[in-house]
Parts: sequence; structure tokens; C-alpha cells
Amino acid sequence: MALHRLSFRLRQTVAQVRPLHGSGCGQQQEAVGMELETRPETLSIFRTQENDPACQSEQHLGQYYTVPPSHFHTVFPHGLPPRYQQQVKTFNEGCVMVRQPALELISHLKRADYSKPTMRYLLYGVKGSGKTMSLCHTVHYCSTQGWLVLHIPDAHLWVKNCKELLPSSYHASRFDQPIQASNWLRNFRTTNEHFLSKIKLRQRYVWTKRESTEEGRPLGELVDMGVSRVKSSSDVVGAVLKELRLQAGGTEGGFRLAVAVDGVNGLWGRTTLKKEDKSPVAPEELTLVHNLRKMINNDWCGGAVIATLSQTGSLYAPSSAYLPQELLGEEGFDSMDPFVPVPVSLYSEKEFESCYLYYLDRHWLQHPHSRTEEGKKELIFLSNRNPSVLERLCAFL
Amino acid sequence: MSASITGLLKPWTPRLFLVRWSRYNPYYLEPEPRKEVYHIPETELTPEQKEERELKSVRPIKAATNSVTSSVFNDPVLSKFVNMMMKDGDKIIAKGIITQTLENMKRKQVEKYHKAPEGKKAEIECNPYAIFHQALENCKPVIGLASIQKGGKFYQVPIPLTDNRRRFLAMKWMITECRDNKHRLTLMYEKLSQELLAAFSKEGNVVKRKHELHKMAESNRAYAHYRWW
Repeated sequence: MALHRLSFRLRQTVAQVRPLHGSGCGQQQEAVGMELETRPETLSIFRTQENDPACQSEQHLGQYYTVPPSHFHTVFPHGLPPRYQQQVKTFNEGCVMVRQPALELISHLKRADYSKPTMRYLLYGVKGSGKTMSLCHTVHYCSTQGWLVLHIPDAHLWVKNCKELLPSSYHASRFDQPIQASNWLRNFRTTNEHFLSKIKLRQRYVWTKRESTEEGRPLGELVDMGVSRVKSSSDVVGAVLKELRLQAGGTEGGFRLAVAVDGVNGLWGRTTLKKEDKSPVAPEELTLVHNLRKMINNDWCGGAVIATLSQTGSLYAPSSAYLPQELLGEEGFDSMDPFVPVPVSLYSEKEFESCYLYYLDRHWLQHPHSRTEEGKKELIFLSNRNPSVLERLCAFL
Repeated sequence: MSASITGLLKPWTPRLFLVRWSRYNPYYLEPEPRKEVYHIPETELTPEQKEERELKSVRPIKAATNSVTSSVFNDPVLSKFVNMMMKDGDKIIAKGIITQTLENMKRKQVEKYHKAPEGKKAEIECNPYAIFHQALENCKPVIGLASIQKGGKFYQVPIPLTDNRRRFLAMKWMITECRDNKHRLTLMYEKLSQELLAAFSKEGNVVKRKHELHKMAESNRAYAHYRWW
């Protein structure tokens, strides 16, 4: 009830969604169409030549666009779901379906006012409905628009299965996670190479008695230090987040910051980590989680926070829970409040058709009966149009 | 207290109902899971089919087992393979391994297909079911050996095999080969997919075993007359 009221209030502040018909995008379409005119016409039902997320509109709903191979390793070193990565390797191409939640998010991002405090967008839906893929689509859009993307692939990975938990040097009661932090910094470096030399630090950071990073040094140096000195990598992550937060809305050389967090409900709740005296660790006692929570607060401007709820990796949450209230808990909901909820539903009939035709085109549906009408009806019945269930079914058919 | 008394007053019903026993009164008829049979309109039925339908309306029918489905994707050979893989009645794990095997085979072949040049694409077989059936065919022995006693000694005599026995031997060899002769840390679906793909192209240990059986039978030709059936 409260959620509905708040989202209603927020919807009035964000401007109306309108499809884009840019003339620049039309020219791009013609140029690409010329190269691929040897392809037969039937393919165009489920594929679109519009590979730029900024130019995609409602006429492309349900169609697949290809992520250019050059973008793949830079934009998505760590964000994609593992089964999708396998699929990309098998099909030798990365195709993403243009769906309603992603288009809605992209239109909000186009229309938002970046001098005001950050907007938080939350993607929610049942298991396997395509929340992570919608997030990755939005991240691709932000990347192509030249934003700095802070993509945390799964916040749950930071609150469970940590082999090394060091007590933090900066703050007595907190814990550091060196391996997770250095991995994330490495991937962050791959995604945002071109920003690392441009952004200068505004503060002096002292790491040990002999090591410190001066004011005015490029951010790249800080990140390199974090990757090489694994012990202080969690504090480096905190410093990087703080610098980006301060500089995102700046007028001189200002860039826009997109914070994309998958499984944001892991930041509030319980962890499975234990201290040496076997008492449980609360999430706020972890440096990474503490700093990320500060990032998700809307006390900075010049960017957006796009988050996804996830029950799959979550701890101590029932498997039927998918709504924000259930997964975030009271504390999480109060911190995320106010946000724009974006529901992600299962495939519609058109989207299911598109997915089926795509699998047929890529020679993925090999069973002779799966190409008949009866087989298709059976697939609809067994999967209930759930994207991930359909993918798993088609895998062995 | 009232609950325990009402518990005693109720007639006793067992907690577990076994729906399908393997021993049925011969009066019971077999179930028909295929959908096509029921879609034939009244006019096109042959006299035998009409008689069968009338019989089914009066006689009771056995309960169908969990392994038969009216799904179009039902494959009796694959179900038999799943049952042979199964240990301790855990069909979920066995079925899971087989589906992962099929997926793995398909992934390898489709990847090869997409990376191959245009001329070679038609030769690559991507259908995991076709590969499975062809591989099994390639592993089936044509002739087998039986141990027959004559004059105090046992001789290995070449004998013809029935279709069921041949299929059983092919499946058994495939499963034992994957369980015993592979690297310890490889998962079963990976081992099975490698072995099936090798058998599809007539290479690999299972096909070798079949050839060795054929050679033994050929070398023991002289004792063939010891067979009396």
C-alpha cells in the first residue's frame, strides 16, 4: 500500500515516457541494413538492426538486438548471468531481447534531471523473469552514452562464502574482504579504462606509514594500487566510491555515474560469515557493504542507482518471496525509500514467439517434435512463459 | 482426550497408498498414453480398434507408471537408459545427468556448427537425440558369446543375440566405461557426452570393446556347432 502511494508520488516528478524517433538513428539503421541485405526477410521478425540502446523504442519490443563483440568484454566483464555467458559462447554472438522494463528504465534515465538528488530504480519480479538481463541492457545503454558504470554483479557474493575476513585497519569494528574487493576493482578497471586517467583525486589517502596517494593523482593509480596491494583493497574501494560520489555531479568535466547493483537485498539482512568467536557478522560490519550502502543513499547528484532484487542468491529468504517489501526487509526498504519500482513480468505471447524463433534460427531447438505446433504448446505449458525455465527446457530439447 | 477417542472411532486407513503394484489381476488392461490414438474420429476406426474401445469401457485399467508420458518428447530408449543409470531408485539424479549430457553434446556441436565454414555446416550433426541413437547403434554387438559346457570343459560359443540383449549390452558397456575408465574428477555428464560423441564417429573405447567381442566370436567359429538352439 505504502509502496504504491510512494511510487505514485515519484511518477509525477519523472516526466512522461515517449518513444524516440531520432533522425540520426534512422541513418544508422539504413547503413547497417545495407551490409546485411543478403539475409532473408523472415529473420527480421525477431531481430532488429538497431544495436544502439539509445535509439530503441517501443516498435522494437520483443526483438533481439546484437551487442557488438568489441563492447562485450569491456562492458560486461562480470555482469551477465552464467547461463547467458554459456549461450553467448555457443551461439558465437550476444543477443539481448528488447523488453518493456528495460525500455522504461532507459526512458526514465533520458528524462531525469541530474542536478537533483539521485533517483533509485528497483527491478523486481519472480525468479527467472529477466531482471538481471534488463539491468545489463540498461548498463549497456549507460556505457554507450559515456557514463561511468559501477556494476556490482551480485551483492550476495560479498555477504557469504568469504574465505578471508581481515579486521579493517581503518575502523576497529569492521571487517575487510580482500579477495572480493580486488576482483571487483580489476573488473571496474576493465569497464572504465578511459575514465581512470581523467578523474583526479580531491583528497590525500594514507594507506600505511610509508604509502599514501596524493591529491590530484589520477584515479587509475588508486585502482592499480588496490589491485596490487590486496590487503588494503577494501579501503581502496571505499575511497573510489567516495571520490566518484563527490565528483559525479560536478560542472567542470562532470560525468554521469550509474550504480548498478544486482541482488541489492543482500546488503540488508543477515550474512553467513562468522567472527573468530563464532558470533555472526552483521552486514554493516563489512567495509564493502558499508561503503556501498553510502553509495545507494540519495545524498549525491549527477547519476542514477539501478538495482535488482534477487531471491536466488539470498540468505534466509523464502523461495516464494519476490516483492520489494519481502526481500528488502524493513531496514532495507527504509533505506531504499523513495525509489521507482519497475516490475519485470514473464514473457508475453509476442516475446515468447520471438524467443522461440531465435532458438530455431540459432539451431538450438533440435528435437524434431519441438519444431511442431504441439511441441510449442507443450513448451508454453511446461515453462509458463518463464524466460529462465524456457531456456533450461530448450537446452536439452 | 477427545481427539484420541475420535481417532479410535475412525476406520483405519493406511498412510501410504501404493497406487501401482506390479502384480495385477489379469483382468486389468494396459493404459494407452499416446494422444494420437484418442484423436482418431469414430468413422476411421478399424473393427479391431472398435472392439478394443468397447472392451476398455467395461474392463478396469492399470495405473500408469511415472515414466510414461503423453508428451511428444517421450523416448522409450532414453527412458531405458535413464533406468539403467539409476542408483538406489534415485531417478531424479539419473534424469538430470542425462539432460545435462544432451545439453552438453548439443552445445559442443552447435558451437562447432557456428564456427564452421559454410561448406562444412551440413556435415555437423547437432541433434543430441540423433547422436545418442546413432552412437548406441554403433555400440550394439551383432553376435555374442555364451559359455557352454561340453565334456567337462567350458567353451565360449558364438550365439545370435536378440534385439533387447544387444541394446542392453550397448547401454551397459557405455555406462560402465564412463563410470570406471575415466578421470576421477570429471563429472558424469561430461564423460558420457565425450564417449557418446566418440561412439557417433565410431571411435572410443565402447566401439573398441564391441570389435573385440566380434573378433573373439570369429576366432571361436569352430565351436559354433556346440549351440543346439
